[in-house]
Amino acid sequence: MRYETVIGLEVHIELATESKIFCSCSAKFGGEQNDHVCPACCGMPGMLPIVNKHVVDLGMAAGMMLNCDINRVTTFDKKSYYYPDLPCSYQTTQWFAPVSVNGRVDIETSKGKKSIRIKQIHMEEDAGKLVHDDWTNTSLVDFNRTSVPLIEIVSQPDLSSAEEVIAYLERLRSLLRFAKVSECRMEQGSMRCDVNLSVRPEGSDVLGVRTEMKNMNSLSAIARAIEYETARHIDAIENGTEELVQETRRWDDTKGASFAMRNKETAGDYRYFPDPNVMPIVIDDEWFNTVKSNLPEFPEVKKARYIDELGLAEGDAEHLIQSRAFCDCFEGAYEVCGNAKEAANWLIFDCSKILNQKQQTVDQLNISGKALGELIKLVLDEKVSRANAKKILSAMFEEELDPAEYAKANGFIVSNDTGAMESVIAAVIAADPKSVNDYKNGKEKALMALFGKCMKELKGNCNPQVLREMLLKSIENA
Amino acid sequence: MTKDSLQKLEKLYQLCLTEEEKEGVIAFFAKQDDEFAALENIDTANVERMVHVMPILTVVREDVEKKLFTREELQRNAPETMDGYWQVPRLVE
Repeated sequence: MRYETVIGLEVHIELATESKIFCSCSAKFGGEQNDHVCPACCGMPGMLPIVNKHVVDLGMAAGMMLNCDINRVTTFDKKSYYYPDLPCSYQTTQWFAPVSVNGRVDIETSKGKKSIRIKQIHMEEDAGKLVHDDWTNTSLVDFNRTSVPLIEIVSQPDLSSAEEVIAYLERLRSLLRFAKVSECRMEQGSMRCDVNLSVRPEGSDVLGVRTEMKNMNSLSAIARAIEYETARHIDAIENGTEELVQETRRWDDTKGASFAMRNKETAGDYRYFPDPNVMPIVIDDEWFNTVKSNLPEFPEVKKARYIDELGLAEGDAEHLIQSRAFCDCFEGAYEVCGNAKEAANWLIFDCSKILNQKQQTVDQLNISGKALGELIKLVLDEKVSRANAKKILSAMFEEELDPAEYAKANGFIVSNDTGAMESVIAAVIAADPKSVNDYKNGKEKALMALFGKCMKELKGNCNPQVLREMLLKSIENA
Repeated sequence: MTKDSLQKLEKLYQLCLTEEEKEGVIAFFAKQDDEFAALENIDTANVERMVHVMPILTVVREDVEKKLFTREELQRNAPETMDGYWQVPRLVE
């Protein structure tokens, strides 16, 4: 018999805010244990939550990027949760009126295009972290992450393979990074995915027993977990190796296997009820339109514009749209220097190389498009050599600076002083008569050696074309 | 409310009721169930969902980080701490 896999995803995204969802503590990743805490996020009695407006902005922005309807009256609810990493014994989340509903994400795989329906996006608070200490046989609680704002994106069970799941997650990541909703860094836990999976005979409209898998922190681990779990379900159905039960399972990537954690709760078990401490949030037209007007152009629209209007090659355009930071910098640089190809090349090759050396991601690009454009203009106007421009670029990654002023202060401006060039050429020729003779006897490489020596003496600050012509003339006369 | 559903709730709420208490709870909810059944007869098809009992909206704040307390202040009344963590009975085996 042939089987099909039915997959729905719950994706948690940590929002890019400065402060937590219901208090003003820092929402930054890491830090000393319990350093980003206050009485509210520690669950001290009598403390009341105050909603961070930017969390609602980002919840709406995510919904708009994923083609959702925005609930103009959105409310928070309490979800019963008895565990020390959330000290109130409940999680404040959205159940009855989530911020965004009924969306769609379009993906493309080797089997073609497909739309994945989004059931809802709700805002909620994250839980803290627990460390289990063997020495004292106790558990240690760190509330730094407690109340850090999240959105949970719940898909309908429209996915049917690991390839589709990866395409869906990559698409989500790209759209949400573009809208600056989140950095979506799986390795830091700012994008986490739970996979709900069942298997049924192909063509059947009855869903099989569903299991939920947690603890996957990379796309490749998710793909491996889906393949393993699908095979486990089929084996259980065909060979009766085990009884499938609705449960939550933990994926162990080292062992390449999933293990039962607990019986899956149903929604009723969480005893959701409206949070009496957070009043309803009404999103008026002004708020809605402000968020909408701040949304970026969709990546594909940008890509088409870069190719059709700016004449970029498809590969270069594709490279740039992987990151909003690259696109913003590219557009800023192009506006100043007027040369799209140059601006793209400086980003794709030179800036990427520096980011790699600094072990930073493309989203951490910290130079302005205007400054990069000014640097490129200096090169195009032949005021700074390419070699020296690369040195200036490296300095731009360390501090905010004006490329022209930096070039001037560091002696990088190309000199038109032919007198200085003549004396350098004369000295180089006098010191290396062998290369002069070699060139005269037909060895092209000898000219390059002499040219390189002159350039070195002049610290790269001369017009290479003029230098070459003057050098050739001097060799002829030597 | 049945004995089975009460048993499930006992587990969720981490309660431990005596047989006498259980009977009292079941009798109490039997009465509540009748009252809720009466409410179900009301036609609410064209009634907008009430999201909150008070006609007031939430106050939102700007996304500004502030550090208002030190860890030491917050842990002053903690029964047990260790290396800056709150220390609790072990949760996993």
